[in-house]
Amino acid sequence: MLRHERDEPGTRDVSGQRILVAMSGGVDSSVAAALLVQQGYDVVGATMKTFCYSGGEAHPKTCCGLDGITDARRVSDMLGIPHYLFDVEEDFTRDVIDDFVAEYARGRTPNPCVRCNSNTKFQDLMQRGRRLGCDGIASGHYVRIDHSDSSTPALYRGVDTSKDQSYFLWGLPTEMLPFLHFPLGDLTKTQVREQARALGLVTADKPESQEICFVPTGDYRDLLEKRLETRHPALEPGLIVTRDAVVIGEHSGYANFTVGQRKGLGGGFSQPLYVIEIRAESREVVVGTAEEGASEGVEIGEVNWLGTPPPVDSRILVQIRYRASAVPAMLRSTGGRFLLAFDEPQRAVTPGQSAVLFEGERILGGGRIERALVDERPTEEVGRAALGAPTRQILGGTPHA
Amino acid sequence: MPLIYLDHAATTPIRPEVCERMMAILDGDFGNPSSAHRWGRSAAARLEEARERVAGAIGADRGEVYFVRGGTESDNMAILGHAEAVRRRGDAPFAVVSAIEHKAVMSAAAEVGERGGRWSTVPVYADGTLDLDELDTALADGASIVSVMTVNNEVGIHLPVEAVAERTRAYGAVFHTDAVQALGKVPVSIENLPVDLLSLTGHKIYGAKGTGVLFVRRGLDIAPLIFGGGQEGGLRPGTEDVAGAVGMSIAVDLAVLEQESEADRIRGLRDLLQFRLENGISGLRVHGDVPNRAPHILNVGIPDVDPEALLAGLDLEGIAASAGSACDSGVQTASHVLKALYGRLEGVAALRFSPGHTTTEADVIHAADATLRVLETIRSVEARA
Repeated sequence: MLRHERDEPGTRDVSGQRILVAMSGGVDSSVAAALLVQQGYDVVGATMKTFCYSGGEAHPKTCCGLDGITDARRVSDMLGIPHYLFDVEEDFTRDVIDDFVAEYARGRTPNPCVRCNSNTKFQDLMQRGRRLGCDGIASGHYVRIDHSDSSTPALYRGVDTSKDQSYFLWGLPTEMLPFLHFPLGDLTKTQVREQARALGLVTADKPESQEICFVPTGDYRDLLEKRLETRHPALEPGLIVTRDAVVIGEHSGYANFTVGQRKGLGGGFSQPLYVIEIRAESREVVVGTAEEGASEGVEIGEVNWLGTPPPVDSRILVQIRYRASAVPAMLRSTGGRFLLAFDEPQRAVTPGQSAVLFEGERILGGGRIERALVDERPTEEVGRAALGAPTRQILGGTPHA
Repeated sequence: MPLIYLDHAATTPIRPEVCERMMAILDGDFGNPSSAHRWGRSAAARLEEARERVAGAIGADRGEVYFVRGGTESDNMAILGHAEAVRRRGDAPFAVVSAIEHKAVMSAAAEVGERGGRWSTVPVYADGTLDLDELDTALADGASIVSVMTVNNEVGIHLPVEAVAERTRAYGAVFHTDAVQALGKVPVSIENLPVDLLSLTGHKIYGAKGTGVLFVRRGLDIAPLIFGGGQEGGLRPGTEDVAGAVGMSIAVDLAVLEQESEADRIRGLRDLLQFRLENGISGLRVHGDVPNRAPHILNVGIPDVDPEALLAGLDLEGIAASAGSACDSGVQTASHVLKALYGRLEGVAALRFSPGHTTTEADVIHAADATLRVLETIRSVEARA
């Protein structure tokens, strides 16, 4: 049987410990629940109803992710565990959807899954789990947690590098770590699917969800149009300019753009152009070459440390996109703000996305990207604002987990 | 851990007498009642016996009993079937329903409005009374059908259907009652009630899901909603569910036969549960605590507690209760019934217990203790947070 060495040493008796596992109705959380049952925990399943995207009574089946709820219930039934539905729509709308809309309105590219994991999902599970007498909370995220130092557990990247979800979990409240379990951290996606098939779980061959849960079509512009006031600048036409203020075209709303994006800019330029900055105040989308979009550093906000913060001026690894490697940088602090100076300039430093900080595989914490630092080396002296910009493609939108 | 089912207002287990008779049909009498051969004749005989049994139990004529596929279908056939008949006569239908009807009636009435007719609701007050003046106004305004449930499913109020029926009749309008929660709990008899249409379901009276009855008073014209062969007088075409009809008839028969004694017993259990909860929970309010109250429902409001946590906690203790009415996704939405009766209930968890045939005194004592325990756990967590 698969055993989760880091999380649960084989000898530990877990019977009588009640764990609440978040079940989306997908294969990962189904297997997470199954593994916890195998390990002997008293497992309680829960699905969070986060939003209602159809709105009308005409299509109740598409409302509230009912298919996911139904599948989570079927899996729970098969595993012989109770399952409950937690209605978190109000909190989710306030903490995640409103923020998502506000970030696009500011010309930034939000990461709602980070926001949800940091502010809504785990805190809510924790609160509700306690009311149900639960000793711990589990999810199907691909990360590892080491409880050997019980006061400050350590969070590590998942073993499956292609599925690792540490990028989305830097914002977890530290005091919550002792209660968290991630049964899939030592497994690959392939192993998880095999396990699901071996157990005969109905979700075994369910396709990977590719979209943000509240933007099921993948087109977030509809959502912005619904939730922003009419004629909001983010959805009004504006100019596409170069950094030298040369106008090269028009766009239909800066909310359609993400820093690093190449699509939608038209062609016919001598070299590929990328979005390197979005200026919400003038509705300008600034484009430039790959080189022009490179940043020497990044300023981060809403910083969260999963344990003792590393000393300032220490060397650290930073990951600035979900699908990117962590790169070496120096951690700086000035005027209460945290800055990271990259060893090598980085492209597509995108305000609103996360910068996640590592020491090897261990997640130290992270922050939201406030701005890219261009043409300035962040040092202790750095304090002046730099109207900088970043670059590069890859992001067609917002990654999720 | 003992498992205690106190959600009989949501659905009931099938009682053995019903199950045996249904199995006998499913296992042997498979014929189509419309067939001319012996298999068909046998099935037709069972079906008509069942019809007579239901008619006898509720004081109707057997020609007035139509077998349908459950309570929602029965309610819809009554209200929309009536509306269509009115429309065919060249008039505009106008459905008037109480504000605390089940969704099956409420949504059907709204659909009358959607299809070009009118609909409105009549208030019901916290003291269990229905606003008869408003009813009169609606009748004077040309209501073509009035639908008022006999017993409410969420709080158990037994509505004054006799008075409503008489007024409705005085105005020449049609009266329908959803008696799904009433049969077996309070006396239900066509002979004592000037009702034109009455709906019943099997699964609330220890029968099978998907079985039901619509009583249609002889001479009343309602149009069918679906079309096919001439089964059930053309009102509900489709090859008859003979096993379902037989099971339904046994369930109705036994419910009526045992109504008086069972109502007394269940009322005793309900009152014991209420007593223990009232003693253990400060600020507890009993919803639907009126003189005209059906015996099998206890709906309590508990202040300052998350209803989801309460229900989940009870489930983990092996106790089945509900937040009012069961809905398809399990999401708790604000009850239109409680809102109609008490206005907005901010921060109050509504919990419905409904004991049944197999419930014992030990069960309700255990359930009361478990409720207090769950509440204490939740409150201690809240206090620390």
